Amino acid sequence: MKRYDLVIVGAGPSGLSAAIEAAKRGMEVIIFDENEKPGGQLFKQIHKFFGSKEHHAKIRGFKIGQELLKEANELGVEVVLNATVIGLYDDKEITVKIGDGINHYKGDAVIVATGAAENMVTFPGWTLPGVIGAGAAQTMMNLHGIKPGNKVLMLGSGNVGLVVSFQLMQAGCEVVALVDAAPRVGGYGVHAAKVARCGVPFYLSHTIKEVEGDEFVTGVTINQVDSSFIPIPDTEKHFDVDTVCMAVGLSPMSQLLKMAGCEMEDNPKRGGQVPIIDDYGRTSVPGIIAAGDVSGIEEASSAMIEGRMAGICAAEYLGYCTKEELEENLKILEDDLESLRQGMFAPKNRGKLIEKTEEGIDISTNLLEKGYISEKEIERYPGVTHKVGIHPVIECTQNIPCNPCQDACKKGCISIGANITNLPIVKTEGNCINCGMCVASCSGQAIFLVDEDTGDGSSTVTMPYEFIPLPEVGDKGFGLNRKGEKICEAEVVSVRAVKAFDHTNLLTIKVPKEYAMKARFFKALA
Amino acid sequence: MGKVIDRNIDIGPFVPAPDDDMLICRCEEVTKGEIRKAVHDGMWTMTEIRRYLRSGMGLCQGQTCSRLVKGIVARELGVSPADLEPATARSPMRPIEMKIFGCEEVDA
Repeated sequence: MKRYDLVIVGAGPSGLSAAIEAAKRGMEVIIFDENEKPGGQLFKQIHKFFGSKEHHAKIRGFKIGQELLKEANELGVEVVLNATVIGLYDDKEITVKIGDGINHYKGDAVIVATGAAENMVTFPGWTLPGVIGAGAAQTMMNLHGIKPGNKVLMLGSGNVGLVVSFQLMQAGCEVVALVDAAPRVGGYGVHAAKVARCGVPFYLSHTIKEVEGDEFVTGVTINQVDSSFIPIPDTEKHFDVDTVCMAVGLSPMSQLLKMAGCEMEDNPKRGGQVPIIDDYGRTSVPGIIAAGDVSGIEEASSAMIEGRMAGICAAEYLGYCTKEELEENLKILEDDLESLRQGMFAPKNRGKLIEKTEEGIDISTNLLEKGYISEKEIERYPGVTHKVGIHPVIECTQNIPCNPCQDACKKGCISIGANITNLPIVKTEGNCINCGMCVASCSGQAIFLVDEDTGDGSSTVTMPYEFIPLPEVGDKGFGLNRKGEKICEAEVVSVRAVKAFDHTNLLTIKVPKEYAMKARFFKALA
Repeated sequence: MGKVIDRNIDIGPFVPAPDDDMLICRCEEVTKGEIRKAVHDGMWTMTEIRRYLRSGMGLCQGQTCSRLVKGIVARELGVSPADLEPATARSPMRPIEMKIFGCEEVDA
């Protein structure tokens, strides 16, 4: 049996972050992960992250994973892959399946960062091949380069459902509908808007009645539900699809902690069976610490902070840092975590209907019910202003903890202020030079550069564009509105793909001037 | 810890439902009706259900269905799923071949 100062189960965002903090303080650390690649869910996240600079904002998830892994390696952390932890016993003895045998390890401290498993809902046909979890779809597309299907219906409008719908389209799938039994979109409005403007219809207050097919999925029927989620008769809609993707929440994979004798609770707010922990992840068993989704479902940015907290707690538990150092560090991390847990989507606001922004502006109900902001609603937000010449238009209408746009603009056009959840303000006195950095920096793809009147009866709209093939200058097609409907003819007048944009290409289209505030996406002639 | 459920309460008779033949535990092919019937047969804890029907004891070890089974049992008993103690967590956490499970690498 091999002994380590710290054994970590799970090499995802929290496990790697924990390892880094512990190894920095001189601990001998080993991480086991049952997957063939490290990084957990991070390596499937090809989108840019929200937050502030400290939270790796505007960096794509997989890049954050690579950075964490590199840092852990440099600090001498041993990362063992294809290593399945199958038991956690008294005195922190751990059994791990590696290759064709069982290996025994002992950790003087143990951090469990096993993450979560996807929830499923049942309906006739749910066991047919072609009904998959959103996480599975991401694994197929983003790790293995395999298209999950051709025509997909997504169930679930939380951030996972929205982000994966967008990624499915990036992979070349057609997303025929986004369905959720809830009456309102669960995820960020900006994620919904970028899916809606590609033409994906949103069906809120709808659920799957049945999935059809004998051997595999050939179609799906949805129907509307009332406020008690009871199906309303004669509201069926049918779609021909080969794939149904479910993004209906996650459950913590906490069995190891239960086996180890940690006190557990069933806490629906944290996603199910979770260990009872203090503010830093310490369980009822001294030296066993939980971090990331296993201790309550959140997202990768908070998991990384929780991991760092756990790593420092483990160091202090074994005397690798003083109590003072622990407290000082935890205080900083706690503030950091708190700043992520602000805004409309904060854990404390879960399930609440928020009608006004922190600024007192009415929330777009169309965004919540249909996935896009109506033309009538858009003008009331501080990111939407008008002036002569090119200027940014920021369609960011909900208070979320994110501010890269403010740092991206060096010309004083964009202001968020000290409060990270404030809506961005576009200041008309700013001197926009059309650099495009704001457009590329916005993780929500909600910033456009608009010249409302170029003098020849046209206007230009610059948009973020992350699809292939990338249109070329001179390509003709249509301007699509926020709902994804063709509203006018459009011609590509500029395509910018520079390294600083990190694969968010900037596409500029020319449209008749009355469409300057309406055209938000481009579709080339077939 | 889940609440101790009073076994004397009357949960009424088993009433067949149109979706009783829907598979819930796909690894062990256990249907919704079988789970509901098991509750009426007196299986009121997740451990009892698991031993009685083998639900959650197949390839995925309940990763997909344990939440679904819990929901069905709770509804049948008229309690919240949070009140039901989950089944015992024990090694091996993942399905594993006996020849590997029995192969202790003592010098590792």
